Amino acid sequence: MRLTMLILIVAILLSSQAILAKDTIEWWQFWTDPAIKPTMESMVEEFEQANPDIDVKLTDLTWANGHEKIAIAFASGSGPDVVELGSDWIAQFAANGHLADLSSEIAADSNDFDGWGMATYQGAVYGQPWILGTRVLYVNLDLAERAGHGTNYLPADWIKLLRRTRDIHLLGDDIYGWGSNTPEKHRLYKKFLPFVWSNRADVFTSEDEGNYCVISSRHVIEAMSFYKLLHDSCGYVGSQRNIEDAFLDGKIGYIISGDWLLKRIKLEKRDINFTTLLIPGSGTDGKVTAGKSFLGGEFLAVNSASDNPEAAKKLVDFITQPKNQVRFCKANHSANPSSRAAQEDEYFVSDPNLQTFIVQLRYAVHPPVDPNWVYIEEEIEKAVEAFVFGTTSAATALYNASVNINKIREK
Amino acid sequence: MRRSGLGGLALTSPWVATFALFWVFPVLYSLYIGCTDYRLLVQGYEWVGLDNYRQLLNDPDFTGALKNTFIFVLGTIPITTVVALVMALLVNRRFKGRTIFRSAFFIPSITSMVVVALIFTSLYERGGYIALLAELVGLTPPQHGFLFDSSTALYSIMAMDIWMSVGYYMLIFVAGLKAIPDELYEAAEISGASTVRQFFSITLPLLRPVALFVIVINSIKSFQVFVEIFVMTKGSFDTSTAVYFVYEEGLTTAFRIGYASAAAYLLFATIALFSVCQFLLMRRRMTTW
Repeated sequence: MRLTMLILIVAILLSSQAILAKDTIEWWQFWTDPAIKPTMESMVEEFEQANPDIDVKLTDLTWANGHEKIAIAFASGSGPDVVELGSDWIAQFAANGHLADLSSEIAADSNDFDGWGMATYQGAVYGQPWILGTRVLYVNLDLAERAGHGTNYLPADWIKLLRRTRDIHLLGDDIYGWGSNTPEKHRLYKKFLPFVWSNRADVFTSEDEGNYCVISSRHVIEAMSFYKLLHDSCGYVGSQRNIEDAFLDGKIGYIISGDWLLKRIKLEKRDINFTTLLIPGSGTDGKVTAGKSFLGGEFLAVNSASDNPEAAKKLVDFITQPKNQVRFCKANHSANPSSRAAQEDEYFVSDPNLQTFIVQLRYAVHPPVDPNWVYIEEEIEKAVEAFVFGTTSAATALYNASVNINKIREK
Repeated sequence: MRRSGLGGLALTSPWVATFALFWVFPVLYSLYIGCTDYRLLVQGYEWVGLDNYRQLLNDPDFTGALKNTFIFVLGTIPITTVVALVMALLVNRRFKGRTIFRSAFFIPSITSMVVVALIFTSLYERGGYIALLAELVGLTPPQHGFLFDSSTALYSIMAMDIWMSVGYYMLIFVAGLKAIPDELYEAAEISGASTVRQFFSITLPLLRPVALFVIVINSIKSFQVFVEIFVMTKGSFDTSTAVYFVYEEGLTTAFRIGYASAAAYLLFATIALFSVCQFLLMRRRMTTW
């Protein structure tokens, strides 16, 4: 009897020790939409079942203040083990030593995922690409048809884009050719830079060419002048949300937007005859080439001070697996998984609009990975605001931006 | 006596401790931080003395934000005060439905600023009701909407703020009017004083402390304008204000807490100076009456 009791006590103690030995990792993420939350939770449950020694504590963040919460948590040493980061935050957190260097872990995966460039800071990789985001051209086909444009008559370069948008603009009082963004901070540069990239220009030269700021080059001036031309001649000016609302109401012919608009059209069951097109190239060199779009995305990073880095990396690896990316994209109506295997899934291949996003990914550029980018983008936005909404000339506005960007970089 | 003093201290100590920890300490600590180059994400920081203050005074973003704050304060306070006083005089009279008017004027003050800002954002849009009203009276509204034009954005926000605040200050003026003894008006009437004369010789002088209170409170509130800017323009179209600048520098982008703290102290000094000037000006006038 005593022996049985002893065995029982030892067994209980051992099992409780096994429970206590479980690693608990915290994952902070931004997906709180009821459409995607159950998928997130079920992925975590599956991970826990596959790894019984790991518990995952899922914490929701909001876009309104998530960045601040992460920054404060890292600064106070209480950051989560795994954190979802927007592409433009990685350099900032990596530069200050808060993220674990994942270079050795991802070496084998490098050809299987897109988006590494945004996670690479000074030669080291600090995040695993998860869900990427690019923008494409949305066209209201009813308005295009009313303006006499068939589906084979859609724009492939800037001049044609300008003509098509102007034709639509002439249709009526409350009809506009083009959706033009107001100077919303942290958004306007995402709208303007694709025109720069499409015109074979950039903010900085490559590292090999000295990494000089060339924002006031002739090609950028040309891009900004065309941007203003679209804005002045046929623009419906509003916030991104205003522009999308007007497009869905059938008031705008052409807008640039992301996959969230596809989601909105589906969820709100909007009755709009539209299609998506690749961003047109500039054609200023007389050639028809693909235009460049903006590339951003969501990354999973590991806290450099995590007590359980191995468990954290396992979770990152599990969540970013191709099958889980497809699950996520289906639930969230996302169009750009980072996994190339996931991009070839039937779900994306069978939908022409999703395909546009997948193809556009090949012609998408991300801004430089620089911890001071938030200040640099502000200077670019000020230049666009001064020229497009003010009275300053393009050359002066861009020259001022160039001077200020150089000052920021000197600091 | 000594024992009761200790008892009192014991009873107030929870509040004193909370006050010291959550008010006094942050205020003093931010003064210290304002003299460092502290950034939230960077380990360690260095003492930079008054460098942040020097840099701020040469930072066109800060001086622009401060200029907008002054425009906001100087533009809203006189109008809010005069309109609130006129409304208080009107609703203080006896007439049918007086309570309904008082409540209607007061309702905007108890509505969430975010809700009001969102409603006004919609009203100010191109093709919105305010643009239509402007067209009706023969004015040309801004092409892309009132908030998307540097010449109208800040003034549009100020107009909304006035609409929202007057009800609250009206109620304070009504309380002040109630405190004026009726005998004074009766005596004035017997002496043959007109209503206008009664207003300038009785009402206005006796409302002076209330007016001072309204102006000071409204000034402090206006210097701290933030929610409207955050919701309606995010500081675009030349609408950034001092507190919005502090928020942007300290809690977004590069998390420059040291620089933002210095900006907050400059704002504090400005408000303090402004309030002292108001007190001195109003006191001098009160003594002359």
